[in-house]
Amino acid sequence: MEALQKSAREALENHKAKVIIGYSEGSGGRMRPIFVQSPAEAEKLTWNDRCTQNLAVYIAKPEVQKLGKPALVAPLPVLRAVLQLASENQIKEGDLLVLALSDGRVTELSQFSEMEEFVAKTPTHLASKDQEAIERLEKMTPQERWQYWQSELTRCFKCYACRAACPMCYCSRCTVECNQPQWIPVPAHPLGNWEWHLMRAMHLAGRCVSCGACGDACPLDIPIHLLTMKVEADIHREFGSQAGMKVQSEHALSSFKVQDKENFII
Amino acid sequence: MARIGVFVCHCGENIGATVDCARVAEACRKIPGVAHSVDYKYMCSDPGQTLIREAIAQNKLTGVVVAACSPRMHEPTFRRVCSESGLNPYLCEMANLREHCSWVHEKSDVTTDKAIDLVAMLVEKVKRNKPLHPIKVPVTKTALVLGGGISGIQAALDIANAGHKVILVERDPSIGGHMSQLSETFPTLDCSQCILTPRMVEVAQHPNITLYTYSELESLDGFIGNFKTRIRKKARSLDEKLCTGCGLCTTKCPNKKIPSEFNTGLGMRTAIYVPFPQAVPNKPVIDREHCTYYTKGRCRVCEKVCPTQAIRFDQEDQIVEHEVGAVVVATGFTVKETDFFPEYGYGKYKDVINGLQFERILSASGPTLGEVKRPSDGRVPETVVFIACAGSRDPAKGIEYCSKICCMYTAKHAMLYKHKVHHGQAYVFYMDIRAAGKMYDEFTRRAIEEDHVQYIRGRVSRIYERNGKLIVQGADTLLNAMPVEIEADLVVLATAGVANEGAEALAQKLHVSYDSHKFFVEAHPKLRPVETNTAGVFLAGACQSPKDIPESVGQASGTAAKVAALFSMDELTREPVVAVVNRTAPPLYSTCVGCFLCQSACPYQAIEREEIKNRNGQVVKTIAKVNPGLCQGCGTCVAFCRSKSIDLQGYTHEQVYAEVMELLS
Ligand SMILES: Cc1cc2nc3c(=O)[nH]c(=O)nc-3n(C[C@H](O)[C@H](O)[C@H](O)COP(=O)(O)OP(=O)(O)OC[C@H]3O[C@@H](n4cnc5c(N)ncnc54)[C@H](O)[C@@H]3O)c2cc1C
Ligand code: SF4
Ligand code: SF4
Ligand code: SF4
Repeated sequence: MEALQKSAREALENHKAKVIIGYSEGSGGRMRPIFVQSPAEAEKLTWNDRCTQNLAVYIAKPEVQKLGKPALVAPLPVLRAVLQLASENQIKEGDLLVLALSDGRVTELSQFSEMEEFVAKTPTHLASKDQEAIERLEKMTPQERWQYWQSELTRCFKCYACRAACPMCYCSRCTVECNQPQWIPVPAHPLGNWEWHLMRAMHLAGRCVSCGACGDACPLDIPIHLLTMKVEADIHREFGSQAGMKVQSEHALSSFKVQDKENFII
Repeated sequence: MARIGVFVCHCGENIGATVDCARVAEACRKIPGVAHSVDYKYMCSDPGQTLIREAIAQNKLTGVVVAACSPRMHEPTFRRVCSESGLNPYLCEMANLREHCSWVHEKSDVTTDKAIDLVAMLVEKVKRNKPLHPIKVPVTKTALVLGGGISGIQAALDIANAGHKVILVERDPSIGGHMSQLSETFPTLDCSQCILTPRMVEVAQHPNITLYTYSELESLDGFIGNFKTRIRKKARSLDEKLCTGCGLCTTKCPNKKIPSEFNTGLGMRTAIYVPFPQAVPNKPVIDREHCTYYTKGRCRVCEKVCPTQAIRFDQEDQIVEHEVGAVVVATGFTVKETDFFPEYGYGKYKDVINGLQFERILSASGPTLGEVKRPSDGRVPETVVFIACAGSRDPAKGIEYCSKICCMYTAKHAMLYKHKVHHGQAYVFYMDIRAAGKMYDEFTRRAIEEDHVQYIRGRVSRIYERNGKLIVQGADTLLNAMPVEIEADLVVLATAGVANEGAEALAQKLHVSYDSHKFFVEAHPKLRPVETNTAGVFLAGACQSPKDIPESVGQASGTAAKVAALFSMDELTREPVVAVVNRTAPPLYSTCVGCFLCQSACPYQAIEREEIKNRNGQVVKTIAKVNPGLCQGCGTCVAFCRSKSIDLQGYTHEQVYAEVMELLS
């Protein structure tokens, strides 16, 4: 914690960054994001395992961009989101600084290549509770799985908190907002909910950095992150590519290689 | 309010016998927005077309649906009718009642119901059609021809003679390709060099042809009519303008023991060399891998003897850039070496050679000056065995196809051998004799009947050496697979014709497809044999599949005709069915967020980046932009874009959605 505050203070003092985007204690035991602009405020920064939000979601927001060059407090998923955003041309080299966290240490990273190296050294496996949940889903029969998601998704009331929490949901106009034609119906009814969530899972295929922020954001505790994480794990297994590991222009689902597996085509 | 006209065609009995066309027309009349609906026996006939013309005028139609055959058949016809009647042609669509309905179903009410659905879908689409205008792109009337074998030479000359500029790029120091290595050519046995060299000289002297030898394609960008190409001129180590081709350097070079590529390793050349005496251009290159100056830092003999001081040791590769409108790929093929065949000694027997090597032995300009002498000891072989289909038609070797030229050149080889060594014995092992072609069968029969070449139907299983002889073991399948053993002095393998090394990389640079054997693929095996799937890139010769000279030349002229047709226009007209990235008011400018995932998804490299600038010239956003010249309207990007920022003109989300909803309603 102190190391983090010290790095943040130094980054501001040495004008390496104008604002530190980090975590601080919120109300009701929840963590909230904080935008630290003066060295004195750095002491409010904190870090613990309740910090589940993905702070990368803020870097593209115009309000945040107005504050000047940010330094991002970055546990692994945040760092991966940064690299994935860079792959998708949403940020450029030098746009931001990263204070990467691992094992209580803070590493300052400014080049994408440094971030790639850092990520390559850090294990990327899912949290055990998510891994177990996915395995449980995999063991179900298709009918059971259908029942499970039917009951979960029916509850969704389309607040779009999951979308707002996701660093990769940065489109200025989401498909759900297209009305000519209206692909996804506006009301929250079972079919429309299915459509919304299947569409979101497909749009995140090959792009999801498995942070779980969407599931955490859901006020109804719908484990929506399991859908995108499962797709991501499948893509990793089938195509050997993982989102947010390096800055690349080829994406699993938008590029074709002769050696790509085609055994899933029936 | 839409005023759509529906025109249901019976196509004689084709649709009329299965679908109740009158009922279709009647049902469609009730669809909101349909102002006119009729059926007729032959819509494409003159009276049929008049029906449409009159209806457009009388009913002030805003769109037309012709329910008839496939749009592939008659869409141009009906769109022209509309256009002549003052309606934008893209407001006319066809519902395919023939291939999609009457031809595939029995006569029944359900079939007619389906026909009504098909028309109703199109009505919903046409209601949302917008007038479109063909895309015009200018044409650069210069052709790039890759490869200076007979195919490339023919294509270049034909295009140049049609009055267009040609840039001919050849990888080797001279043009000529494989044909320059051949002795005499089937089926007429004229001397290959004698008929080829005049053409080579014509290329060099043609005012419309720019020749780059010892050069390779670096990159090709752009699209039909508008390619940009970069060519790497490899350093010849020579000032070509100063060199007079006197050849003094090549006689004085002390480094004389380098296997000559032209002579398939059967002869030697110097480090500074011209591949063969009739080379075009007749200017040497220094082979830097073998030159003593480049390898050991001393020598420079050629520099000293050159009377015009043309040698340039410090020359570097040069990149030249050209704009071209069409590309002809004529990079030819190659043949398997003898080391490909474990059963025939893995290339370890000097007197087991391939067909190309035998061509050099037969050639008057070859290493033996045309006398048939075997490589190992220079003796005249008394018994020669020719093995056809060496590698070809052999799935176990990964080459299941027929190399096509081998039956013919094997007959030629055996025949020429007999002409030169009258007392010699020639045997040919073959699977089938494939000699289809004008004067071809007569040619192989002549080998058998007049020159007494012994044809044995069967495969050779093994070759080994015994007392200076090559023992060829095979079977005669016409005699119940009776084992055959021949003591030969020389064995010639008609090795499979295969794609050039590097064909795959070249195809990728050109964005053309290639088959599993790395031969380039034509757009349609029957109807578009010289086009590729990339508009403006054409094929000629053996780079597409092994071919003989007549076929290569024919294809090259065909390609040239395509190029000339393309260049006969100042502008190209293209269907406006292309993708477009939307634009909206500032500050958004477009819903495209510039993720450029569509860029890697587009199979035609049609998506570029566009910088949107504000009044002060600052870049405020970078978004995707579709190059309409390159876009083929495949829709891959449309399916890919998450924010639905790309749409396909003529098949917009709105149109397709309306069609689907109509079907579901
Ligand atoms: C042993 C043998 C005997 C034959 N005998 C006969 C015969 O008697 N009668 C007959 O009709 N046919 C005969 N043929 C067939 C004949 O050789 C071919 O039909 C002919 O060579 C095909 O011409 P091409 O121009 O398509 O290809 P090639 O002759 O292969 O020419 C291709 C040219 O492209 C160049 N090139 C390759 N890659 C590149 C690149 N990336 N960039 C630039 N340049 C490149 C090569 O250097 C070469 O000059 C014989 C073939 C063989 C192997
Ligand atoms: S956060 Fe939960 S309730 Fe809101 S849209 Fe997402 S899944 Fe539905
Ligand atoms: S995929 Fe869509 S959002 Fe992304 S660059 Fe292409 S058009 Fe823009
Ligand atoms: S429609 Fe096809 S060819 Fe055209 S830009 Fe999109 S992906 Fe490329």
